[in-house]
Amino acid sequence: MEALVATAIGTLTAVGLYLILQRRTFPVILGLTFLSYAVNVSLFVSGRLVTNAAPIIGTGETFADPLPQALVLTAIVISFGMTAVLMILAISGHLQAGHDRVNLGDDARKDDA
Amino acid sequence: MLWGVLLAVALATTVLHRDRVVALILTSLAGLIIAPFFAFHSAPDLALTQISVEVVTVLLILLALHFLPATTPDALPAPRRLWSAAVAGIAGAGVGWLAWAMMTRHHAFPPISEFHLAQSKPGAGGTNAVNTIIVDFRGFDTYGEIIVLGIAALVIFATIEAVLRSPAAMQRLAIRSPRREDADRHPMMFAVATRVLLPMAMLVGVFLFLRGHNMPGGGFVAGLVFAIALLMQYMASGYEWSQKRQRYDHHLVVGWGILIASLAGVGSWVFGLPFLTSGFVYVTPWPLDTFELATAAIFDLGVFLTVLGAVLLALASLSRLALRTGDAPQSRAFDIDPTEDR
Repeated sequence: MEALVATAIGTLTAVGLYLILQRRTFPVILGLTFLSYAVNVSLFVSGRLVTNAAPIIGTGETFADPLPQALVLTAIVISFGMTAVLMILAISGHLQAGHDRVNLGDDARKDDA
Repeated sequence: MLWGVLLAVALATTVLHRDRVVALILTSLAGLIIAPFFAFHSAPDLALTQISVEVVTVLLILLALHFLPATTPDALPAPRRLWSAAVAGIAGAGVGWLAWAMMTRHHAFPPISEFHLAQSKPGAGGTNAVNTIIVDFRGFDTYGEIIVLGIAALVIFATIEAVLRSPAAMQRLAIRSPRREDADRHPMMFAVATRVLLPMAMLVGVFLFLRGHNMPGGGFVAGLVFAIALLMQYMASGYEWSQKRQRYDHHLVVGWGILIASLAGVGSWVFGLPFLTSGFVYVTPWPLDTFELATAAIFDLGVFLTVLGAVLLALASLSRLALRTGDAPQSRAFDIDPTEDR
């Protein structure tokens, strides 16, 4: 199970980074979403993988580590806030600049020419 | 099984990401697969939050896609893509290895969670250890977080305001390539169904809120469920129609949320206790069973209102942009009037 979760985290990270490297605003947003999935899951598994042990007192003998769960819960909501802000920045960038490239280096000028 | 689907979905996104709607759907699928993963590994709170956040995120991104090109135009040249894939692959392998190494080793120090589990009931009065950490033990953290969320919502509002005032942006918006619009933009079935569902969804929200301290649920999830119920009204019946029935300003909802959370924190000063100390009593009013009254519930109400207000403010900001694009404003609830004789 650990190996499966680890490969899933690795894949999510790789996909997220690949999308970010596309250097267009929308793939960057999706890429960051994938990255935050990866980060949330890896934070969560720092409490180790246990089944049938929800950290609710009185429902069992052993409990999963509640601390990473609480941290990830807030992280999920914060990453929603981040995605929403980025989305709006992407729209505003697209409307104000007329394109949705994210790099303003030499490449962008070359592309525009 | 789920693992295979997740991998397939994630990899398909890299191949198909140029069609943005498809990419968005694939991304949300990945998020929806993570929710049962949380549920399976003893984190019902996380599963609930993940599902509801996923719904809100996808709805907002779908709305936002209205203002962005539907496809990513020219792909990067092949060597560049290969290079990106190589970098991403190496980083992914590294992170995956790190996660595997972390999971298969023992804790270097004993985790402090034993304290939270032991103190959840006697110290905070709730049996859901995750929720008591959020609203009691680590309340300050959560307090900071809802402020961040509130600020994010205000940033969204301010950015849209700036776009609306920029002549160049408005011009671009006006000449945006026309999209095919459905004739029936607010299908009657959808509108009726969402209106019937609204009170039920709100009931579910209240239920999740009230049980939060003892069972999976809490202010975050309840706020998101409420937000989804209201978002559905906006989707089904149009922004104008819903806005007319909106009695409270979204900014005010965010502000009140943070204010209530602050008051719940400051309130403990009256008793000479540090900021955000929570207290609780058990009461047994005659016909009912014993239940718990906690100051943490006031704090959680603040969390609830902030989450709700922030989501709706983001939506309202996007809709203001949509109203300026010359899309015909929709003031009636249905496109078709069922009472009209035809």
